Amino acid sequence: MNAVDAPAAPLTHLTLVEAADGVSSGAFSAVELTDAAFKAFKASDRALNSVIALEEAEALEIAAALDKERNDGRLRGPLHGVPLAHKDMYYRAGKITTCGSEVRRDFRPTYTSTAIARLEAAGSVTLGTLNMAEFAQNPTGHNAHFGHCRNPWHTDYCPGGSSSGSGAAVAARFIYGALGSDTGGSIRMPASMCGVTGIKPTQTRVSRYGAMPLSFMADNVGPLARTARDCARLLKAIAGHDPADPTSAKEPVPDYEAALDGDIRGMRIGIPTNFFFDGADTDVVRAVDAAAEVLSSRGANVVRIAIPHMDAVSTYGAIISRVEGSTIHAQWMRTRPQDYSIALGARFYAGLSIPAAYYVEALSRRGPILRALGREVFDKADVFVTPTIRIKTPTLAATDIDAGAPGAIDAFNMLAANTRAINYMGLPAVSVPCGFDGDGLPIGFQVVGRPFAEGRILKIADAYQRDTDWHRRRPTLRGA
Amino acid sequence: MANKIEDLVEEQVVRWHGVEPPNAAGHDYAKGMAGLIASFEKLRGELQFEDEPSSFEAALQETKERAP
Repeated sequence: MNAVDAPAAPLTHLTLVEAADGVSSGAFSAVELTDAAFKAFKASDRALNSVIALEEAEALEIAAALDKERNDGRLRGPLHGVPLAHKDMYYRAGKITTCGSEVRRDFRPTYTSTAIARLEAAGSVTLGTLNMAEFAQNPTGHNAHFGHCRNPWHTDYCPGGSSSGSGAAVAARFIYGALGSDTGGSIRMPASMCGVTGIKPTQTRVSRYGAMPLSFMADNVGPLARTARDCARLLKAIAGHDPADPTSAKEPVPDYEAALDGDIRGMRIGIPTNFFFDGADTDVVRAVDAAAEVLSSRGANVVRIAIPHMDAVSTYGAIISRVEGSTIHAQWMRTRPQDYSIALGARFYAGLSIPAAYYVEALSRRGPILRALGREVFDKADVFVTPTIRIKTPTLAATDIDAGAPGAIDAFNMLAANTRAINYMGLPAVSVPCGFDGDGLPIGFQVVGRPFAEGRILKIADAYQRDTDWHRRRPTLRGA
Repeated sequence: MANKIEDLVEEQVVRWHGVEPPNAAGHDYAKGMAGLIASFEKLRGELQFEDEPSSFEAALQETKERAP
């Protein structure tokens, strides 16, 4: 029997769906869940530093109001009474939103992001804000201003970034789910390194209104949670067109959760023969191969497939967010350079030198490359599966650019290689835990689908999680 | 014109943007621009002149998942 099924399991060990359904049925209250979450943060977060700010009194008050509504026979939605906390880049009217930065340490937006507004409208309780990379700009979890976030499986190691606190807090069982953001892998990398599930939706699937911008071409809003089913419930709540974000898609939002039946018979799962396994660690290759076997045993057809134009995708994908990020930060770089970390100031500085012609070339080929992918990949496979990250999770010390760690800049590029490529193509991808490396750190694989195939990739992820228990394993804090 | 890529980066960024080199890591990132140029050199010729606009959003629609 696993820990989640055990009768004596603490409330914090439930999945998000179990927690929501328990409040709905009256098995426990929103106040009990919220109180348990705050106790968990207080007991263990000093070792992880996953939090920027908690709002205990206000959250408990909201939870009590939700309990009263439930007792009166009213449920706000499928997240009624579920405690969540979010990457500290989602604006809430009147609340400080630091974006993990010194520049915005005291920034109080005057409006609330659509994603948080929708989660709260569905009944969630917002507990506070979570640590993140400065302006969502590193894959490791370093933060010079609020302290580095740490991996719950071993605190010497990176939790992944930039949604570092989201990955760490969900993995540590402090909360049931969290918003992250993903411009080059910032949901999927912490999901992979921390051993949780995280989905980057199709570009434009979720409104970005009130989400700190990094790259208008590549930013995505999405959740991290313990299971694919949890992510399905969260994504359903936040997806869909938003008049406040005219770039958001008008595609209808299916009931992702209702479609999770475990039946993936006949689905064609592509395994790339190029790029995505280049230089991959043997532990990672072994874990992803084993994951493909699990999917095959469920009746999926695994096929080897070449992904076209990957040199172009890799090159172009590496510059779009750098150019956009450098550009939108240029004024602060001129007037407040001392308020940026060494690593981020350096990245933005060099990004300003990238020629406009390179940027336009990268944007111009995005559509044609996606069309080629449609013809050459998705006519042969319904999805393709890759390691989320090719290499084992590194330590914080080995990747600390501010401290002058040799090779750290190259490590940043290697960590994001597989995820950033997917952002360039605008595709949805979900990262799923699939094992552990020799150092005891989680490994993840990503399932990548056609545009707006969130339902299919979540269905595959859920099917995989029916036959495996990697997502149920809980860290015991080591190295604390 | 500067001979070293990192010096060229510095000239451009200071002149065009008014941003000073922030630190040694900025120097390292600037050196890395040589690799970026090499990557773009390999892709020369792949971008074709297009008579009609080619929108990424349109490609998302064309290649999207269809309901069964």
